[in-house]
Amino acid sequence: MAEKSILYDASKCTACRGCQVACKSWNEREAEKTTERGTLENPPDLSPQTWLKMELREVGNNGNLRWLFTRRSCMHCKDAACVKVCPTGALYYHPLGFVSYDRGKCSGCGYCKEFCPFDVPRLDTNRGSGLGRMDKCTACTTFGLDRIDEGYSPACVKTCPTGALTYGYRETLLTTGQARVQELIVKGYKNAYLYGDKEVGGTHVLYVLDDSPSVYGIVENPKVPGAAIAWQDVIKPLGYVAVGLVGIGLLLNVMVARAKMLNGKGEK
Amino acid sequence: MQEIERYSGRARAQHWWIVVCSILLAITGMFLFLSWFGPASWWGYSRLVHRIAAVGFVAIPVIYALMNPKSTLEWIKEAFTWGKDDLGWLKSAPTYYFGLDIVPMPPQDRSNTGQKLWMLVVILTSIIFVISGALMWFFKGIVGPGVFQWAVFAHDVAFITAGAMLLVHVILGSVHPRFTEALRSMVTGKVTAHYAKSHHGKWYDRITSGKKA
Repeated sequence: MAEKSILYDASKCTACRGCQVACKSWNEREAEKTTERGTLENPPDLSPQTWLKMELREVGNNGNLRWLFTRRSCMHCKDAACVKVCPTGALYYHPLGFVSYDRGKCSGCGYCKEFCPFDVPRLDTNRGSGLGRMDKCTACTTFGLDRIDEGYSPACVKTCPTGALTYGYRETLLTTGQARVQELIVKGYKNAYLYGDKEVGGTHVLYVLDDSPSVYGIVENPKVPGAAIAWQDVIKPLGYVAVGLVGIGLLLNVMVARAKMLNGKGEK
Repeated sequence: MQEIERYSGRARAQHWWIVVCSILLAITGMFLFLSWFGPASWWGYSRLVHRIAAVGFVAIPVIYALMNPKSTLEWIKEAFTWGKDDLGWLKSAPTYYFGLDIVPMPPQDRSNTGQKLWMLVVILTSIIFVISGALMWFFKGIVGPGVFQWAVFAHDVAFITAGAMLLVHVILGSVHPRFTEALRSMVTGKVTAHYAKSHHGKWYDRITSGKKA
């Protein structure tokens, strides 16, 4: 099936945060009580109740102050570290490419959070007992709240009034995004960049940025952590082989030894 | 038949309590390796059991060591005492364990070379388990993600190592025809003099020369 994506065009965003509200509303997330921090950016961080938030940045640019907006939510990687390390299969790939989540299977281990190159998953796991669950954006593919399956766009896209968010086939959005980046470069935004085309093997949330990712506070060169690869692709297969060989060896050993020694050849 | 005490009551209690904790730890951690253990973890209670068992796994040897400092130190010293008889033992071990021929095995002390290898595995992997486990439990979010990631890795490497060696320990200790009295000795604490003489010659000589000269 052709992959789908969300395209976020930061140059069209007004930080109205309608997406934030629509996300909470559709996904039945509760509002969080926060305190005034001297910024319009609110709440302060992603949480099990906040799967999407807009970050607001004031950036100095040759004496001109720019107010830049960044979407903070799951990037829905093609090669997702969270799916790689999730031990229960709670995190999995949706046929359309999104990183979906079955909350009922989550054990609350939090490996997804620790291995995510974008630090997106959030947990309410109790430090003492270890009980709790993870939550994150599922691109509106959550069971019972599945908009994608019904042919709708994700709630954030649906509500966006400026066209900063669009939903569609990844190939189409890549073309649209590249065209927009070229347009921005012509307008004088020399560092304009389409983020998510190549990052971590490609993501299913693409960003049109009119400056380099670091200016927007986005990870410049995200990678699946080496420990995830060493663990899942090297040590685990080796572990099966090692334990298997030891097991077979022991079985043979005991069988041979019993046969030989019960014949009276060996000495006890 | 004359019997010799090999394991004190406390040592046996320690052993079997650690067995209980290890089984609980292995079952509640197994979902990381075998997906059909996945459902056991879906509500997360396996994580609570894992933690309780982990506390036991650490507390039991600590309590034993505080109650029996002398025998604990002897046990550690024994694990790290290696000589030429150990080399000889390793050379003859395959033939000996397959029961192919009657091979003269170098005389062994209280624990033979294989048992000492297992003791080293236990000591080493326990240290890795405890450090990486504590990092993941108490220091999650305090240490950076890099430290956490490699702690997960180390915990799993320790599990694979200890798990593979545990298979050897369990099979040799229970059903292997060379160790007719190993399991019995960890239950009753006693071995026959004949078994002690043939399997642990140095130890037998040492304890009998002092007492029954």
